[in-house]
Amino acid sequence: MANWACLIPLFPLIAAVMIGLGCFSGLLPSLASERITAKLAVWSLSLSCLLALGLLTAFLPGYQTHEHAQFVWLQSGDLQLPLRVTVNSLNLVLAGLFSIIFVIVARFSVNYMHKERGFHRFFSILCLFAAAMFLLVLSGSALSAFMGWEIAGICSFLLIAYAYDRPVAANNAARAFITNRVGDAGFLMGIGLSLHWIGSANWQDINEGAADLLGNDAVILALCFSVAAFAKSAQIPFSPWLSRAMEGPTPSSAVFYGAIMIHAGVIVILTLQPLFEAAPLAMGVIAVVGLLTAFYGWFSGLTQTDIKSSLVFSVQAQIGLMFLECGLGFWQLAAWHLGAHTLVRSYQFLTAPSILHNAHDNPVRTVPSFLAVRPGLFAAAQQRLWLEPAIEWVVVKPVRRLARDLSFFEIRFVDPLLGSPAPAIRAISTLTQIEERKIGARLDNDEDRFATGSGLAGKLTEWSAGLVNWFEYHFVLRGVGKESIKYGRKLGKSANKLEQILQMPRYLVIFVLISLLIAS
Amino acid sequence: MIAAGFPLLSCLILLPLLGALVTGLCKELNSAKRVALGFAVIELMIALFLVSAFDINQGSRFQWVEHYAWIPSLNIDFIVGVDGISLLFLPLSALLTVLTILASWNSVTTLTRFHFALLLVLEGITLGVFSALDMMLFFLFWELTLPPIFFLIGLWGMGPHRRAAALKYTLYMLFGGVPLLFAIIMLGMNHAVQAGGHIPEDLSFSFPILLSTPLPENLQPVILLLLLLGFGVKAPLIPFHTWLPTTAMEAPTQMTALLTGLKLGVFGILRFALPLAPSAAIEYSWIIGILGVTTLIYGSLIAIKQTNLRSILAYASLSHVGLVIVGISAFNMQGIQGAIFQLLNFTLIASCLMLMAGFIQHRIGSTEIIHLGGLAKTMPRLATPFFLFAFASIGVPGTSGFPAELLLFIGVLDTYPSLAITAMLGAIIGATYIINFMRRAFWGPAVNADIVDADDLKSRELAILCIPAVLVLIFGLFPNLILNIHYQAAEKWLLQLNSPVKAKIIAPDSPVRSSQ
Repeated sequence: MANWACLIPLFPLIAAVMIGLGCFSGLLPSLASERITAKLAVWSLSLSCLLALGLLTAFLPGYQTHEHAQFVWLQSGDLQLPLRVTVNSLNLVLAGLFSIIFVIVARFSVNYMHKERGFHRFFSILCLFAAAMFLLVLSGSALSAFMGWEIAGICSFLLIAYAYDRPVAANNAARAFITNRVGDAGFLMGIGLSLHWIGSANWQDINEGAADLLGNDAVILALCFSVAAFAKSAQIPFSPWLSRAMEGPTPSSAVFYGAIMIHAGVIVILTLQPLFEAAPLAMGVIAVVGLLTAFYGWFSGLTQTDIKSSLVFSVQAQIGLMFLECGLGFWQLAAWHLGAHTLVRSYQFLTAPSILHNAHDNPVRTVPSFLAVRPGLFAAAQQRLWLEPAIEWVVVKPVRRLARDLSFFEIRFVDPLLGSPAPAIRAISTLTQIEERKIGARLDNDEDRFATGSGLAGKLTEWSAGLVNWFEYHFVLRGVGKESIKYGRKLGKSANKLEQILQMPRYLVIFVLISLLIAS
Repeated sequence: MIAAGFPLLSCLILLPLLGALVTGLCKELNSAKRVALGFAVIELMIALFLVSAFDINQGSRFQWVEHYAWIPSLNIDFIVGVDGISLLFLPLSALLTVLTILASWNSVTTLTRFHFALLLVLEGITLGVFSALDMMLFFLFWELTLPPIFFLIGLWGMGPHRRAAALKYTLYMLFGGVPLLFAIIMLGMNHAVQAGGHIPEDLSFSFPILLSTPLPENLQPVILLLLLLGFGVKAPLIPFHTWLPTTAMEAPTQMTALLTGLKLGVFGILRFALPLAPSAAIEYSWIIGILGVTTLIYGSLIAIKQTNLRSILAYASLSHVGLVIVGISAFNMQGIQGAIFQLLNFTLIASCLMLMAGFIQHRIGSTEIIHLGGLAKTMPRLATPFFLFAFASIGVPGTSGFPAELLLFIGVLDTYPSLAITAMLGAIIGATYIINFMRRAFWGPAVNADIVDADDLKSRELAILCIPAVLVLIFGLFPNLILNIHYQAAEKWLLQLNSPVKAKIIAPDSPVRSSQ
């Protein structure tokens, strides 16, 4: 049965590749072939949906079993990393639920995106995202989950920047992506550590091995995965990216940030329930972070006047509650909460445009009275508790400053110290220099500085050349008497030659070689 | 299968040189270009044949070995051969040359014949570097890469300081050559001492023989340092990297693509520096790791501050080298396989990104960020591959960057957890600079008329990008294709490092099948 489950992510993947290639090669001209693209997308998603639901009905009787299908993706020495698809009750229910939402959203987008310039692009990315999400949900190992996880992140990045000629959209996409990269690093750390400590990255093995981990290992491992979950589900301190992500078209906001991808963090934590149970400290951390985020979402949401951003903050609050539930050990409740929230939220997001349309405008919602009379609190809510500037100040600015300092160091110290050949740079290279020479300014002319260099090596060569030159000029060339001048010149010439030869590393090495040979 | 005695590798080295001669003698310009391309393609075919005929089950052994006497009085021989580590660099270098020739098809207008001839010469010499098994021969090829590169940078460079850049490159490389030659001589002398002390009869520069020659403990760090210095300049490792940004800004982009693509320096470290001084390498592996991590973080932080795509890519290339060095320093299977994989991967990615910088330069006249914006709208056929390669460079699953980075990371985590975490930070910063560049250059409104009127990629240029793009995807989805090829060689590499030869009896595992 698990082999059949492998097909679920495969259908949308094929559709995504077909639409993408068609779009790239120009085989799908924009308007005329909208129907083909729409059909491909809707049908592939429907097939996945049917398959998921079919598997679910077939599976439910044998409730407690796990089935796996795997393919060795990577092998290096004794390390074997399979791509693994697992079928169990949580997986299949989520896959079924998500597939229904995908079909609905795809169908909805066919009309919503009609005559949009990026129609094909949108559907290609949507299908790729569906494939990634199915892979993430059905995966039996942290590795395949990570693949889905990361590809979903890329899709989110590309869809936030759907209207990429708007600088705001592009900017927000980059922000969201880079914030998520931090979470991805946590996930990778988790994979690495579980391979290191437990010897396998399969969810099942991690969960079974968690109890035997020594000391704080389980806590560290659980915290790595929690960081990933926090970033993906926009928990504090990663929260601000979510409100920035609303730049994408509404259907994509619905699937990504309303219904599906935003839950990925909770799904990973639900999957790792035994690991977290073995790490009480990590559970405490999730509970606290969830609680804080729930408060943050509720409080910041109070002053939102735009329908999409109020939805965002309520999503954040709800997901915070799910984390809190996980942290307190109410795993079943969190799972049910997740499912219910998915359904409600996708409905809300999809109807948001119609509500706006029917209301003819964006009606301003009144602020609750306790906020209205306290300007300080109001400002705090409106500034979203200054979370983003704080992160900017704590993380982004120091990195930027470090980068600036290093680049200063590079230009001022490293490059000059190692040196570069000067005469060639001094040669005429700009029109200005030509002009300068013409009018006789000769600003860069300095007869004595014919052989110059910069940096350690350059200066060393310059000085030694200068010394020998001085020696030759003063003692050899200015020797008394004609004869001595003649011989002096000869000597000088040969000294010059020797000096030239000495300056070539080749000959230097040959001398070294000779002296070595003599010595031995 | 072609008879084992057929000198396939010498053919591979000499054919481009012949091609260069023919190209130079061609009367007509267009036919000269075609001849050059033809030779490059034949070369690629031969290299691919080499891969297909390579016996993976004996990947640790040098295959296609040829052995001719060259300077008998000093026991310097012409020995070439490939094993699992070096094998894949041959077809990739050949592919790069084909791509470079295609990319400079129309953009080179002066001394065209000379340009294409030099590219072929460089290809032959580079293949020589990858396959040479005699240290002196290796050194010969290593230094011979300089003249063609000097002329390619100096004559066809795009920046005002191209001559200075060419000179700077050459001086740096000459500087790197000195410790290299010194180390090679010391190794040869050591062999003579171990074998009985008669010079020059007991001298030997054959790499397999030197590998099985025990090296006294006090000499090991010296040799390691000299070799690291020599290869580190070319790799580049900090602080010897400053030639790279200069070259990237001044040289023609296809040349920079070749320079950043051919990871000769790191190959040298992997192939020669560490196995030849094994116990020092093990002892100082943490220094190598720190060096790698510093290079990685340093390169990616500076890349954030760069405003020109070409210098961003130059510093990115620096940080990639750092990542590979970190992987090597782990000295375990995952680390070394990840490092080799990552090298091959960056060969494709770095050079393709650089070629694309060339396409942008050709159309817009600049790769400076303030002159760019909104490219995705007018040039979707450029934007799509660019995004693919950029994602591959930050290790997104599905591209070849992911398995390589994952393996590297797992390997390093096993040996040096702190280095692994730092490398991870570097990966996040790496995402920052490339994503930021994509955002500002490809997205946003078109900033000037050149961009609005820019032509999208022609099919020739698209074809250049498609082959590596497909490879990046295939290697990403089926990493075992690559890993299996160098698995055995990596195993032997590790064995050599972990149990260095101690005995005085020299028993070369006779990889040398004399073809005489």
